[in-house]
Amino acid sequence: MAMRQTPLTCSGHTRPVVDLAFSGITPYGYFLISACKDGKPMLRQGDTGDWIGTFLGHKGAVWGATLNNEATKAATAAADFTAKVWDAVTGDEVLTLAHKHIVKSVNFTQDSSCLLTGGNDKIIRIYDLNKPEAEPQEITGHTSAIKKALWCNNDTQILSAADDKTVRLWDRNSTEVVKQLSFDMSVSSMEYIPDGEVLVITYGKTIAFYNALSLDMIKTVDAPASIHSASLHPDKDFFVAGGDDFKLYKFDYGTKEELESYKGHFGPVHCVRFSPDGELYASGSEDGTLRLWQTAVGKTYGLWKCVLPVIGSRELEGKAANGGVGFGDDQ
Amino acid sequence: MSTLVTLLRLPRGPDPNGRGFDPNSTRFVALCPTTISASTETWTDSVEVGEEQRARSALRESFLRTLIAMTNKQVQFHMYERVEVEARFGASDIDVLNFQVSELQTPIGVQKEALLRCQDVISYSFDL
Repeated sequence: MAMRQTPLTCSGHTRPVVDLAFSGITPYGYFLISACKDGKPMLRQGDTGDWIGTFLGHKGAVWGATLNNEATKAATAAADFTAKVWDAVTGDEVLTLAHKHIVKSVNFTQDSSCLLTGGNDKIIRIYDLNKPEAEPQEITGHTSAIKKALWCNNDTQILSAADDKTVRLWDRNSTEVVKQLSFDMSVSSMEYIPDGEVLVITYGKTIAFYNALSLDMIKTVDAPASIHSASLHPDKDFFVAGGDDFKLYKFDYGTKEELESYKGHFGPVHCVRFSPDGELYASGSEDGTLRLWQTAVGKTYGLWKCVLPVIGSRELEGKAANGGVGFGDDQ
Repeated sequence: MSTLVTLLRLPRGPDPNGRGFDPNSTRFVALCPTTISASTETWTDSVEVGEEQRARSALRESFLRTLIAMTNKQVQFHMYERVEVEARFGASDIDVLNFQVSELQTPIGVQKEALLRCQDVISYSFDL
């Protein structure tokens, strides 16, 4: 029962796409930023994939990228030992934060006042963007490179995943670890869903869902191949995952059943995220492209247009012109 | 009755000549009506803003004229990591990110054609 779907392919990057993030929904739509090993993160319109601009300035592979909710600021983490903050409207570099090793992850608080960074020096840092020259607050504890650090619980706590095979929950004020999860292998990705406090973790072929406050496990689902990234739909009815076999998988969150799989990428899928309205999900791959996939295949949305089969289409045109029955979402 | 999905068009790709962030886009115009620092603090006297803009225009024009004057001349580049090189200047790209130069004299030999990354350049000088 495989449904064919036509993804929108966004080209432009010349090396693997390793991270991507959506903004919130703004008066101008929503936006997507992609981190690429070519060192040139790009901003795109979220629902169409249209390129808006490229943030130029990093001198090494960009490993992490994020946008604030309003898509007015962007932050990137790179192999040139810096994290940078950008004006996402003009594309100008606003701040460069020097680190002592490769930076892998960046994350804004809800009000964009603080930036969280994490990387190969094993230290989580909190920068006050209103006082950027001040020394950042440091949180130590991880014994290996940090892959991802995210704000959670209304920006009062921090979740981090590192190559030491642990995921740790930290209190922002005390900088102490509150709870810790240990795994048999390195966690490949982590996604935090504030609405409902769900944490999505991937490792090996497993996609695991945890309560983000208690770190109690909700459920785990196994995929046919090694998974690099997964994302839960805002309505928590589906989740998507991608990894080593180049495919995108769509699962039912409730029943854990694999619903669909889509081929399209020419390389392993490194990152996948649902859009803030849940209408599409974006995947970034080793093949250097981003692809946008419809959640509900066949719906008119963005650049996808639902076309009904041609049986007496002249009649249909006639009916529509006479203000007759509308078909689908056609205007 | 199965439905087909067609694409209205493909997503627009990057512009090979620039870094984007179209200043004429609705979002840019709404959120950044002006990038002049004098006016971002408080909306002060429009005369001040006008003066600052005139000064900026004059400086910009002067800079662009130096690029023209530099064409095909020998230029000494003073760069980070105590790098001092000399080359014949060819052209700059539109965002002044790269300088195209010829006969770049480096400690390990002369490079016939090269691109210098502008962010690595501290200063450069040439004779008019």
